[in-house]
Amino acid sequence: MREEISHQNVQKDEEIAYLVQSGKVEFFGILIERYEEKIKRYARKFLADHEDINDTLQDIFLKAYENIESFDRKRKFSTWLYRISHNELINALKKKKKSLPLFDLDVFLPISLHDRTLVENIDKKEIGQIINQCLDKLTPKYREPIILYYFENLTYQEIADVLEIPLSTVGIRIKRAKEKMKKICEELEYKL
Amino acid sequence: MIMDSNNQEEKPSLVNQVLEKIKSGQIKIRPKIYFILKTILIIGGVLGFGVLVIFLISFIRFHLRASGIWYLPGFGFRGLGIYLKLLPWFLIFICLLLILILEILAKRFSFVWRRPIFYSLLAIILIALIGGFIIEKTPLHPNLLLQAREGRLPFAGPMYRDFGMPSFKDVQRGVVEEVIENGFKIRTFDDQLLTIVLIRDMRFPFKEEIKQGDSVVVMGEREDDTVRAFGIRKIEDYFRTFERFPRRPGR
Repeated sequence: MREEISHQNVQKDEEIAYLVQSGKVEFFGILIERYEEKIKRYARKFLADHEDINDTLQDIFLKAYENIESFDRKRKFSTWLYRISHNELINALKKKKKSLPLFDLDVFLPISLHDRTLVENIDKKEIGQIINQCLDKLTPKYREPIILYYFENLTYQEIADVLEIPLSTVGIRIKRAKEKMKKICEELEYKL
Repeated sequence: MIMDSNNQEEKPSLVNQVLEKIKSGQIKIRPKIYFILKTILIIGGVLGFGVLVIFLISFIRFHLRASGIWYLPGFGFRGLGIYLKLLPWFLIFICLLLILILEILAKRFSFVWRRPIFYSLLAIILIALIGGFIIEKTPLHPNLLLQAREGRLPFAGPMYRDFGMPSFKDVQRGVVEEVIENGFKIRTFDDQLLTIVLIRDMRFPFKEEIKQGDSVVVMGEREDDTVRAFGIRKIEDYFRTFERFPRRPGR
């Protein structure tokens, strides 16, 4: 059955999610197949242990299924799934006592968006290769927007939706993360 | 099925694992009504905590005005010191806690988290302060205080009896009953007759003449029923505004 279903690749994620909402459970398999590698790659940037990654991955998709009725078809499925992944990864990090800070000044104060263009002008592919090697040294607060932007190719708005933070904060975090990465990479003798 | 290279055991794929759990009924889709109720609960929480914080702020202002503490900063640094000492810090702490809870609840909505916390916090504080000040202008608290004194207010009776109109050592509030040679006598709201003695180095002599029936706030050292006044201020008669201020029988 699923083989037949998987041929329906032309269908949008949002349409498949709607089918799952309508009770066609087996369609959920397509969504897992589509996102398994992406979410695994995302989780790998936060969790080192193979078992932890697999467990969290399973929790993410189970949570997504459980809460599928809360998905609004007018929104992007990928953003919704990354939001669930973000929450599950935070839970996983909490278990490892590596939680994100409770209070964050970046979210507190209004920040200008003008720095955003600086980041966008840099070749994403090139920078992506280098930062991958320095990423582990960054704290999760700065690591996450960098991963979502350079590796998962999410837009600023989508990152804001995933992390539930203001758009301007996404810009400032990426900018600061880049500065920190530069220092880290220089210490590791990479040029950025 | 995939092969795990670490332990050489066959493990079902993620798709199979998840679908297995779904089909076996271990995981079920939460119905839409669950999310609707959750949203209603959050909105209810925001409204409930919002009303509570507005009520508390209005009560704090009522307490400060009724006890005379509100007027102390007008007596200079000494008055300000006593003012800070007498502020109901516990109630203020509860208000701050409620504002924090409100912010956390409000952040569940995208129109709130899309903007910096500074704005939402500022909006919550402003709404709470304006709301509190408006409520304080109504007869709500004097009426509740009256009911509390008559033992007809079960839910917040102790709060009104403890905070409503307390008497402090450093500050007295009352109505002038008699003007005497070196001062005057006032009747406080808890029915005490105090003699106010004006000392020579009083920094804030009243500009207007004090006469019988005036409402005054007196800052000074109290010994038994005599107060050596450092400062006196004539104020609006807060409770006469509401006409239901409890007058003791026989007065």
